[in-house]
Amino acid sequence: MPATQKQRDVALHHADIIEQRKRVEKDVLDAIIDLMDFPEARNADPQRPSPADALRFREAVAIFQPSDYDALIEERNIAAKCGYALCPRPKRKAPSAARKHFIDTSKGVEIVDRRVLEVWCCDDCARRALFVKVQLSEEPAWLRQGGFAGDIELMVENAGEHPRTLPLRLKGSSSAPPKPADVEEHDAALAWQARDDALADLAVERGEKPGRLSKANRELVQDKIRERVATKAPEPPSLPTHSSHMAIEGHVPRTSRNEDDDEDDDGQDWDKHLPG
Amino acid sequence: MADERENYSPNLIRMWRAFRTTKEMCRDRGYEMLEEDYQISLSAFAAKCGRQDGEVDRSQMNFSCLPSAEMAKKYTAPPTAKNPDPQPDIGKIWVEFNGDENVGLKQLRDYMAHLVDGQYYSGVMVTMKPMTGMALRLLRGAAGIAEGPKGGVEVFVEQDLLVNITKHELVPTHVLLSKEEKDHLLKRYRLKETQLPRIQVTDPVAKYYGLRRGQVVKIIRHSETAGRYASYRWAI
Repeated sequence: MPATQKQRDVALHHADIIEQRKRVEKDVLDAIIDLMDFPEARNADPQRPSPADALRFREAVAIFQPSDYDALIEERNIAAKCGYALCPRPKRKAPSAARKHFIDTSKGVEIVDRRVLEVWCCDDCARRALFVKVQLSEEPAWLRQGGFAGDIELMVENAGEHPRTLPLRLKGSSSAPPKPADVEEHDAALAWQARDDALADLAVERGEKPGRLSKANRELVQDKIRERVATKAPEPPSLPTHSSHMAIEGHVPRTSRNEDDDEDDDGQDWDKHLPG
Repeated sequence: MADERENYSPNLIRMWRAFRTTKEMCRDRGYEMLEEDYQISLSAFAAKCGRQDGEVDRSQMNFSCLPSAEMAKKYTAPPTAKNPDPQPDIGKIWVEFNGDENVGLKQLRDYMAHLVDGQYYSGVMVTMKPMTGMALRLLRGAAGIAEGPKGGVEVFVEQDLLVNITKHELVPTHVLLSKEEKDHLLKRYRLKETQLPRIQVTDPVAKYYGLRRGQVVKIIRHSETAGRYASYRWAI
């Protein structure tokens, strides 16, 4: 069976979706590799990170799911670092190498894994790191609609130093088209351009970047408007001439027919055929 | 034998078995290997890699080997007009036993850098515990990127190498076909390769032989009626 153009388009569209998913997964991996050796300054303070560090961290973490964030913490721990990516200190050492430890908490003594004890450098970092984790979206980044996981807030002491950068929304380039001679043609061109502008704005609103895969694939779903053209004058519906209202799809059942036909039906017809 | 084993720690015996299986794996793939290498006795292993305290020094276990001429031939594509002198898609392999408790992205990237520095074609890493998920993700995407070695990196867990699975009686013989043999097979049966049955590259036996996507293995089973029965599978 030869593949039609439509089938080919559908296959390409799905291939693009998988491609985009792979690209996002690679971005996540790169972000984790980047954040593993973060921050670069040895004396960086997790309570008051520099604006550049904070911005880089927030941008890298925006595409994460909570599980990716857990993976980041795990990787940092293997590298013997505090799990909070803005903290340069090594992770805490448990008092002994025993597998389980007794810990005094407000609820009494708890028995915890050594691994759990050695995740952070201090409780403060743990709070700050989990503050970020709860803001991450469960939805994978390749399925997200635009602006969903837009801004990650950090728990910092120097909040004033961090500019809240809003993404600049650039209007499409307004290069004036050459003026057509015909006014009608000019209007049509303007209308088409307005439509393209509107679609581009919609795409930006959905969080798509130019050059990336569009979520609304215009090639696959096409709405063609077909006008209904009247060929004759409309006429009101009428009952068909000789079929009773009891007819079921044209068939008149016997029971209803008998009622019409048997006019000489009386209660005594059982003895009609009897002799005498 | 039982007396001999009592003298060594369980960890050392475990590592000895994993080491032997790894050596056998390299031999079965076609790398050059001496017989005394893959049949190393426990006492010889303990003398080579054991430490004073009876534990294993994993850095002593690392080894590299070269493909035999036969293997290199098998991995060479037949010459074409465009490429009259094709190079074999195989080369020196480096096998490393990692002693870290947890293996993550950091260790894997260090290992890859080491492979690239040492001009190795491919690498096998044997870890104590399964790697982290992100490291596996890097590994999956690493075959194509410039960061790693050309032939890719394979990772095994020590636990999986304690026993050589291909020696089990229920595991049939697997023979890798060269590109030329594969073409011949497809021509003989007038098939396209997509019409062959498949085997996953994550299949334990496929991992043992280091199959790559697109290769074909011949599987020879015992048959009560025919004596033996060959089937072919396309690695995917």
